[in-house]
Amino acid sequence: MSLEDSMARRLRISGIIVIIGLLVEALCLVWSKPIAFVVLVCIGGAMIGLGVLLFLYSLVTAPVPTADSSGAAHDKQ
Amino acid sequence: MPTFAIVILVVFSAVLAGVVVVRPALTVSRAGKILAFGVLFFLPLFSLVAGMENEMQRSESTAFCLSCHIMEPYGKSLHIDDPSYLAGAHYQNHRVPADEACYTCHTDYAMFGTFEAKLGGLRHLYIYYLGKPPLPQDIKLYKPFNNRECLHCHLGARSFEQGATHNADPATLPAIKANTLSCVSSGCHDTVHNVGRWGDKVKFWDGGS
Repeated sequence: MSLEDSMARRLRISGIIVIIGLLVEALCLVWSKPIAFVVLVCIGGAMIGLGVLLFLYSLVTAPVPTADSSGAAHDKQ
Repeated sequence: MPTFAIVILVVFSAVLAGVVVVRPALTVSRAGKILAFGVLFFLPLFSLVAGMENEMQRSESTAFCLSCHIMEPYGKSLHIDDPSYLAGAHYQNHRVPADEACYTCHTDYAMFGTFEAKLGGLRHLYIYYLGKPPLPQDIKLYKPFNNRECLHCHLGARSFEQGATHNADPATLPAIKANTLSCVSSGCHDTVHNVGRWGDKVKFWDGGS
């Protein structure tokens, strides 16, 4: 698996986790029970936080474009 | 921010995040990178903070407190048609905001009062869902009611400062202000909610409707 594929995979996973967290948050906002706050923070907040951290991790481990790859890009153009 | 606006923001964020999930190749371009940063970092965190702030506000509402079954009699006590019932008299005469009646009296007006009230709420949740909740009439305050909470509104008010009973003995007013003579448990204003001790004669105000 190439580094680009690996980054795309991490982006997908972080996006899915963030989406689940956001959906949990949306449900909690329309669910007017005291437990909704706890679910929002413990599940929604944790998932959003995890997704964001994974996104940041994918950024710092992203492949750095080399002179060869940029040259290849120019060749393609 | 109103709840529906936050829900729309959250759903919008989720849809945009879905775009990145379906087409991660978008992030190759500069605009795609900005989009990914916005929808996978900024918007989710902003939505989370807005949602939590909204929930914190909601937790101060009377409806929120009364949404637990165990609190129903306390909510009912706010409608007792008898001015000697302290909680009902305050609620019905809008001496406390009707939509934040519980919170107004049961939070500490000290530096960490709001934080302590929220921690107390989490403890209530734990007991309600995982512990053994007491009967409504057996619920007790964690610590004696502090006059500071009453004086937050009443201090300086003419009815309090110049009230005949408060001034009958020159030592009374200073004792109240120093919290050595309790407003609610010294035999003066001790009929507060009185859950479980209403009897058959108690009448209820219809809420003005």
